[in-house]
Amino acid sequence: MPEVQLAVETAVVSSREPLGPGFWRIALRCPRIARAAGPAQYVATDLPGPFAVRLPLGIWTVDGDEFTLLFREWGERTAQLSRVMPGTEISVIGPLGNSFSIPAPGSHATIVAGGVGVVPFWLLGRALIKAGVQTRVLLGARTKAMLIGAAELRDLGLTLDTCTDDGTAGQKGTVLDLLRDQGPVDMLYGCGPPAMLRALCEHANAAKIPCQISMEETFGCSMGTCWGCVVPVRRGCTQATGYPRAPDERRPYDLSRICTDGTVYSASDVEWL
Amino acid sequence: MGVDMSVHIGPAILKNPVIAASGCYNRGAEYARVTEIGEYGAITIKSITSKPRLGNSMPRVIPVPGGLLNAIGLQGPGIDHFLAHDAREIAAVPTAIIASVAGFSVAEFAAVAVRMNGLPNVIAIELDVSCPNVDREGECFAESAAAIGEVVRAVKATAKLPVIAKLTPNVSDLRSIAVAAEAAGADAISLINAVRGMVIDTTRARPWLANGTGGLTGPAIRPIAVLAVWEVARAVRIPIIGMGGIETARDALEFMFAGATAVSVGTANFRDPDVARKINAGLRGEAARRGFASVSALTGLANPEFAGVRVSR
Repeated sequence: MPEVQLAVETAVVSSREPLGPGFWRIALRCPRIARAAGPAQYVATDLPGPFAVRLPLGIWTVDGDEFTLLFREWGERTAQLSRVMPGTEISVIGPLGNSFSIPAPGSHATIVAGGVGVVPFWLLGRALIKAGVQTRVLLGARTKAMLIGAAELRDLGLTLDTCTDDGTAGQKGTVLDLLRDQGPVDMLYGCGPPAMLRALCEHANAAKIPCQISMEETFGCSMGTCWGCVVPVRRGCTQATGYPRAPDERRPYDLSRICTDGTVYSASDVEWL
Repeated sequence: MGVDMSVHIGPAILKNPVIAASGCYNRGAEYARVTEIGEYGAITIKSITSKPRLGNSMPRVIPVPGGLLNAIGLQGPGIDHFLAHDAREIAAVPTAIIASVAGFSVAEFAAVAVRMNGLPNVIAIELDVSCPNVDREGECFAESAAAIGEVVRAVKATAKLPVIAKLTPNVSDLRSIAVAAEAAGADAISLINAVRGMVIDTTRARPWLANGTGGLTGPAIRPIAVLAVWEVARAVRIPIIGMGGIETARDALEFMFAGATAVSVGTANFRDPDVARKINAGLRGEAARRGFASVSALTGLANPEFAGVRVSR
């Protein structure tokens, strides 16, 4: 993939719509980022108000000069973003972070998404279809109202299986239950809550299936300078800082900045502590 | 008439008075992707310790209104790896470098600082004697006049570069600490480091940060920092680098009027990567409006008991 130059851009809000209880989709007009965005990449948004750092949000869909953000309202900043009116200008830095890699044409891939962890998978699904990869999506949530993004993924032409913890939509159970029920594949992709990602990685590593996950943490700078969002990774992993080990250092892992070296990691590289 | 933007930090001369603060800019490369990092008069690199450090557990940061609470815990490569792998990167940065040094003993500070001698592009050492996020078994050098004197003397004995002591506001008598640093030979004072704070996760009923406590940065701490500069500027003659929540030229002016010769910008980069250029433009404009030939003439204007060296207007 060619190196894409980052930039600070002014994006204009073109629409805003609720997608369910506490879930929102905002469309932003910003041609450069819309055209450059890869699967799992995100933008750092600068919202007006008292917060001192940018709010990072994953890119959901793109359409011409526009891209959308799909997010769950869970704190003051996401609440503020959910009230932003069309026409508002928002400073965004992006596209940030690395991307999923795509397997060879004709191979089989399964995407495992939990809740709002569906966000990176519209762009990935589109890329997999374009690459001729047979793709199935397993989408899970706590309850029916939180099962978002399914329609957009089906519109791409992807095959979806859904599940909910309470059985109000799809199969009752988790995406890991769905995953265990299906046959072997060449590549797994995952994004969702940490417990789900850990179970997915353990499944993939045990079955020796290549697996890439997009991780999340609370970011500070979103630019790789503050070291606030690190994840333990296998020593020697190319996404690690690669520092030497201190003589008294017993922790057998390196650290990697999720915001800049990630957010995508190979399941075989992540150390779950 | 042009305004001379250069400032003197002891024997070191900066092309302008706006510095990137330690811990917020790594070594510049990340922000070079989106802005001209040479707009800074200097970049203070993330603190270097004697040994490699992995730092604190996650979570390490939590944004709050007006700031960012962090407890990174001095993650870093250690001086050997830094010299072997990073010195070339430092030399290529298109502005001056201030090398931040952190340690857990007087000997460690001195041992790391002396190895910065002769590094291309490095114009000064900043002693991070006030990081709020590492366990020193109760000891923080910048909390005691005797301890900071000892560290500064030890470093000055072997370091060839000017030495800046970075102080914390989390003390009852900041002036005596600053006076002790000056008496021990410090070439400049920088203040303030992050202010100790805590956020509690009310869902899990425990502190948000894995470290428990953290250091608060950002505009929330600015009035604390302005007062700290004001007080120290009345007590020492050496230059002061003021920092704490500076986001605009107006904010920077507060610090210079209180007595700072230069200012550092940290957290504000996270929101506006172009902040150094804007602050420099604003300071230049302010000096010009007042008919000053030098930006340094702004220093101490609001502080009648400013004890430093006044620059002629």
